Amino acid sequence: MTQLIWDGLFVGSFYALIALGYSMVYGIIKLLNFAHGDIYMLGAFIGFALLTSLGGIPGSLSLVALLGVLLVSMLLTGSAGVLIERLAYRPLRGAPRLAALITAVGVSFSLEYGVSAIAGPNPRAFPVRLEGGVFQVLGARISLPQIILMLIAAGLMIALNTYIQRTSTGRAMRSIALDTNASLLMGINVNAVITRTFFIGSALAGAAGVMAGAYYGQIDFLMGFIIGLKAFTAAVIGGIGNIKGAMLGGLVLGFVEAFGTQWFGGQWRDVFAFAVLILFLTLRPTGILGERVTERM
Amino acid sequence: MKFGTRNTILLGIASAMVFSTAGCSGGLLSGGSSGTATTSGTVKLGMVVPLSGSSAPTGAYMKNGAQLAVDEINKAGGVLGGRKLELLVEDEACDAQQAVASANKVVSEGAVVSVGGYCSGATLPTLPIFQKANIPMIIPAANSQELVAQGLANVFMINGTGKQQSTTALAFMKKSSYPTVALVDDNTSYSKDITTETQSQIQKDGSVKVLLNTSVTAGESDYSAVVRAIMSKNPALVYWTGYYQEGGLIINQLKKAGFTGAIMVADGSVDPSLVKIAGQGAEGVFATMTQTPDTLKGAQKWIANYKAAFKSDPGPYSTQSYDAVRLAAKAIGDAGSTKGADIIKALSAINGFSMFSGPLKFTTEHTLSSGGFVILVVKGGKFTLDNALS
Amino acid sequence: MSENVDTTQAPRKIGPPISRVSRLLESKQLGWVALAGALLAPFVTATPYALNVMTTAAIFVMLASGLNIVVGYCGLLDLGYVAFMAVGAYTAGILSKSFQLPLIFTIPAVLVLTVLAGLIIGGPTLRLRSDYLAIVTLGFGEITRITANNLTVTGGPSGIFGIPGLLKIGSVDVEDPAVLYYVTVLVVAVFVLASARLGKSRLGRAWRFVREDEDAAEAMGIHTYKVKLLAYIFGAIWGGLGGVLFAAHLSAVSPQSFIFLQSALVLMAVVLGGMGNMRGVVIGALVISLVPELLRDLGAHRYLFFGLLLVVVMVFRPQGLWPSRGYEPERPAGGTGDGEPGGGQSR
Repeated sequence: MTQLIWDGLFVGSFYALIALGYSMVYGIIKLLNFAHGDIYMLGAFIGFALLTSLGGIPGSLSLVALLGVLLVSMLLTGSAGVLIERLAYRPLRGAPRLAALITAVGVSFSLEYGVSAIAGPNPRAFPVRLEGGVFQVLGARISLPQIILMLIAAGLMIALNTYIQRTSTGRAMRSIALDTNASLLMGINVNAVITRTFFIGSALAGAAGVMAGAYYGQIDFLMGFIIGLKAFTAAVIGGIGNIKGAMLGGLVLGFVEAFGTQWFGGQWRDVFAFAVLILFLTLRPTGILGERVTERM
Repeated sequence: MKFGTRNTILLGIASAMVFSTAGCSGGLLSGGSSGTATTSGTVKLGMVVPLSGSSAPTGAYMKNGAQLAVDEINKAGGVLGGRKLELLVEDEACDAQQAVASANKVVSEGAVVSVGGYCSGATLPTLPIFQKANIPMIIPAANSQELVAQGLANVFMINGTGKQQSTTALAFMKKSSYPTVALVDDNTSYSKDITTETQSQIQKDGSVKVLLNTSVTAGESDYSAVVRAIMSKNPALVYWTGYYQEGGLIINQLKKAGFTGAIMVADGSVDPSLVKIAGQGAEGVFATMTQTPDTLKGAQKWIANYKAAFKSDPGPYSTQSYDAVRLAAKAIGDAGSTKGADIIKALSAINGFSMFSGPLKFTTEHTLSSGGFVILVVKGGKFTLDNALS
Repeated sequence: MSENVDTTQAPRKIGPPISRVSRLLESKQLGWVALAGALLAPFVTATPYALNVMTTAAIFVMLASGLNIVVGYCGLLDLGYVAFMAVGAYTAGILSKSFQLPLIFTIPAVLVLTVLAGLIIGGPTLRLRSDYLAIVTLGFGEITRITANNLTVTGGPSGIFGIPGLLKIGSVDVEDPAVLYYVTVLVVAVFVLASARLGKSRLGRAWRFVREDEDAAEAMGIHTYKVKLLAYIFGAIWGGLGGVLFAAHLSAVSPQSFIFLQSALVLMAVVLGGMGNMRGVVIGALVISLVPELLRDLGAHRYLFFGLLLVVVMVFRPQGLWPSRGYEPERPAGGTGDGEPGGGQSR
């Protein structure tokens, strides 16, 4: 039982990191970045490319190398996010929602099959793997890599929260989320803030990608698709547009999935997750930590 | 808006052109094609294998193996008194719709025998197409029981069937005394076939007990649910029948969770990438597999020829595809013609034709008499022969 | 400003003179020309391969016209359209195989089940915003595929095989590729015409209204929820019948045929062709289904190409390569209107 809870929490932290990007972007420009899951995949592949180019790394340095690659990956995926925003989403800021969503689908496809064209369609083994000691805690088997990864994820989330709450850019983000026009009138450089939002959101997704590659050991060009949908579900569960909600939603979804697969079997996992999504959207569209909703959900 | 007389005239000219070409090249009025038998020119062999998608590497192995045989036979004088063999390769991408289009394409281009077929789910819909054109199929890789169950006279399978693989698996379990087993599949046709068959054979036999028979969703990274289930039942052996992408992950996560039992995979997971993904946990993993070139005695020369021709190593199903072409050539030779019915008769009559999997004689179901499955084990990071179990 | 806009006149385009090609493409006869072309094509080439490809293209056109009702007319982004096709194909396949009926007799059941599916999927989702609608419909598409994959009644991962043909009257077997092709083309032509008619009807106007501004439509007395649900149900019926044709064409139905990629391809056909414009959608569907066959060497790179094309089209020409022309009379330049056909889309 405790094993179930721990497994759920672990997977949930990945969902949470990616859900954050979704929530942030949605909060600020009301766009569901369909391609966000593929940014996660991009991060994993960038990490893969960096690590392979570094060549053989002795086991003792693997964690250090990984952290270094993590930071570089975050920078690169963040920039990729900014590029996408500039090229694909900014021109459509005034256009109807439908156009922007379809563009997001196009970006998603381009990323997936672009990576497939470059790296090949086959899954790749991540060159550096996190191995480590295992502890028995309250009947659950917990490994050191899992603890490290959850600490990194938690650290990133806390840093993000502080950023949003304490810094001026964070304040600007919150204000743009409330009312874009008023923020413009107040002299906030909306474009710059949006760019920064995309950067941070994509960097977090990229970090999740590298960590997933290092822990699970395998990456393939379609890995972002389903996890993007799960992350969206997590964001909705927690309350979309809400940072703390995204974190909570991720953990809750991880839990719920673990329980679901236990009862129904592994092949129903995705059906279960989507059913939860539909249930929430029907019964409690604002999510657990719901935002005040001004428009029709 | 009026069409205008000028445009109507243009349209009329266009239609006239269309009609005038109506008689040519296979239009409806040209009488259609009555079968693909030919009496001169190259003898075409159609091969529908995955050339794109995640099974693309295997498709390449199969294509090269077949091409090697085609080149050898042509160098030795071809078939039917000097006619050269020609290989028509099309992509199935492991998708039913594309496989059907590709099958239609090779039929339209005049293939007399089909020597392809990897993904069972994509090969099954092509069966009626080849059957209608009366083209014999020699299937080197796809081995789902569903193919056998169709019972078509023109279908011959030269890879061990799912049933034969299950028999081998059970024999191994009994020989190595594994009293309990967990069966895990990836919910695809080929994989589920094997677990269903294995379970029923185990139950009929009675000396092994199935503690768990479960499926996972392919394409994910986290398999902690199935790992938890396996750990709670604690079987002596886990038999994974899916592909290497998920197999590697499951083996890795099982070992991380502290699983001490043995692990066996089916032939879909036999790929060097499995070892890479599973990491150190792959050492000692067993596999039920038909012979690969590097586990066969005396195949060194063949491997050298392959390497020289294609500048790369052979892989799973290279030998089966090679044999498929050789078998097709022999049957055409025996039949003395390229007519489908004659070739089918010749194939059924073959007795003792030497192939990598042993001397060939088809069963009444047009499958191999002996599946040719052996047990491999991962030693030193590579799959090596453990037990020929003959 | 009070301009005398004579609304009794047929709409006149006030703009640069249009080329002969445009006039040809705009004419009413185009549909008949296209149909004639489709009917005559087998006389040029009737190899099994060509017939197979053309039948697949025709079925794709049907799906695209159905999705056009949902996305193009009504503006509801449905990313799981393939679910309706799956419902139709599986229902037809299971019933015809179990009862040994020709497929044509399963059509009433298919209609019932697809309408039901439309209600089930549309019910909870149509109250949501377009962004959520997109993901939820995608979720439903995946749920349908995975359920079909897991249940034994749908044949599990192998699906259903050996589905009987559409109909067998004496010696005329619709399973014959050429006959099947003609039947498919005729059925698809009827349905494309029907959906075009729907677009011009009062319901079609209501759909367009909802697409442009849902709140204004509601204020004008249009029961938006009902209107959206109707769009969904029509789309479901088109998709379900497309699924029946698909089952007849392949004689096999498996879950792999209903992956998200399929929904995305149909969406691309609708978007690239010009949302709401049935002719554009037909052309878009033909392009998307035929180009991969013609460019077989591209392999999987074609999806990269399509994805990039989608982005480029959306950024530079969001109304699609061939936009629908507004049916409202245009105000002369200087009025409060946009004066540009299809320009009412942007806000």
